[in-house]
Amino acid sequence: MNNKILLVDDEVLQLKIIERLLKSNGYQCVSVTSVQQAEEVLKNFVPDLIISDYEMPEANGFVFRERLLKNDDLKNVPFLFLTSFNQDDLVQKGLDLQALDYIAKNIPATQLLAKINNIMNTVHEQYQKSLSEITNIAKRLNLNIVPTKAPLLKNFEIHYFNHSYQNHPGGDFIDFIKVNDRYTFLILGDVMGKKWGAWFFSFSFLSYIRAAVRICVLDGTLSLNDILKKINKVIYADDFLRDIFSTLSMVLVDDDEAKLIYAGAGDLPLLKFSYQHQQLLSYKSEGILLGFLEDSNFPEQEIAFEVGEEAYLVSDGMIDFEVNAVKKSDINLLKQRLYDLKISGKSTEEIKEILFNSQASQIDDCSFIIIKRK
Amino acid sequence: MKINSVKQDNCLVIYINENEANFSKSDKFKELVFQEIDQGNLNIIISFKEVNYLDSSFLGAVVAILKHLIPLNGKLVLTQLNQDIKNLFELTRLDKVFNIEYDFSEALNVFK
Repeated sequence: MNNKILLVDDEVLQLKIIERLLKSNGYQCVSVTSVQQAEEVLKNFVPDLIISDYEMPEANGFVFRERLLKNDDLKNVPFLFLTSFNQDDLVQKGLDLQALDYIAKNIPATQLLAKINNIMNTVHEQYQKSLSEITNIAKRLNLNIVPTKAPLLKNFEIHYFNHSYQNHPGGDFIDFIKVNDRYTFLILGDVMGKKWGAWFFSFSFLSYIRAAVRICVLDGTLSLNDILKKINKVIYADDFLRDIFSTLSMVLVDDDEAKLIYAGAGDLPLLKFSYQHQQLLSYKSEGILLGFLEDSNFPEQEIAFEVGEEAYLVSDGMIDFEVNAVKKSDINLLKQRLYDLKISGKSTEEIKEILFNSQASQIDDCSFIIIKRK
Repeated sequence: MKINSVKQDNCLVIYINENEANFSKSDKFKELVFQEIDQGNLNIIISFKEVNYLDSSFLGAVVAILKHLIPLNGKLVLTQLNQDIKNLFELTRLDKVFNIEYDFSEALNVFK
């Protein structure tokens, strides 16, 4: 829920009263006493609402609002005037500057709070509505970045999970391409970035990947190295994706031989729990991020499986943790958790549930694929 | 986005003065460094001394900067990375394409 408010007023007492009112009703407030201070704060902080006085020394509220409207990053942040200058011409000018409201300072506290609550609820509802509309359009265009079901194989069970970050779509994408009864491709990618930007570009990457796999299969090629080289080349040549990079893990399941071929581009290692060694093994791929170099190599490795063994493909959100308000990336923490779960005899489904419940302080979208030898 | 740039010897040193180098700052950072490159600063050192956490968006921005510099025959050196960030570069094989020097003096030596 949106709850960050920037308060701008040169009257310190007034500022404190409103701040207390808002904080006691669940809002987070940053309070400043001048437009200059507000502009400094806004360099590193985008609030959900700005409430500003009109009359202030040096720059007044109108000047502040005019400057905000010229700033692409801030012009759409909802803005309210809260002031004791309430002549009709000032109210009109404030509203002409696309302020949502122009409120008199002598308004009763309960009414002020109700107005702010209504604005925040409307903004949130509007956002959810837009999100739902875009998601529906994406669905109609078949722009799914996560498949609706896992492929059914003779010798392997495939489980997968994708969890968005704060309900925003992200850059992770998953795909399964079943070539025939013997071969199936499993794909996990992660476009570098967060939220909308990454989500948008993930479609471009997925389209190239799907096309490259199918074209190579039609040509009789199942070599992951060849497929990844082709994908990398077209992405490198695409000016639209010039500054956008993606990791990719690609696995070819050979269901007849019950083995996997794995190759990757800038991805996290494929992990496999080995009963024989009672340890979690890491298989590192050698490829560089898709789109960085025109010519890259993506060496393949074969992974043999004993009955009951499990392999895991993970996106980088799975190794980002926040502990005591400190963020860090730590693959060893994920490996330790997986190891403990396997040693304690947890089922594949339980591992999926527990891992995601334990991601309480998730700070990015998270995806993983579990490949279990039946 | 808090950064400051200082000309030192024959290169431009960019200090990232942020504890968290993340999504909300990555585009701005890329834009600022691209501006420096466009002004002819092709020898660049980026110091991560103040950075404790780097997310994939910011990592993508740093990769974009290197990709932008390569055809211009520029050179980029990353320095003063903490162990977590260094591990992230190694995990994603980016240590193969970036010139990473732990010590600042070693980073300067690359341009001598």
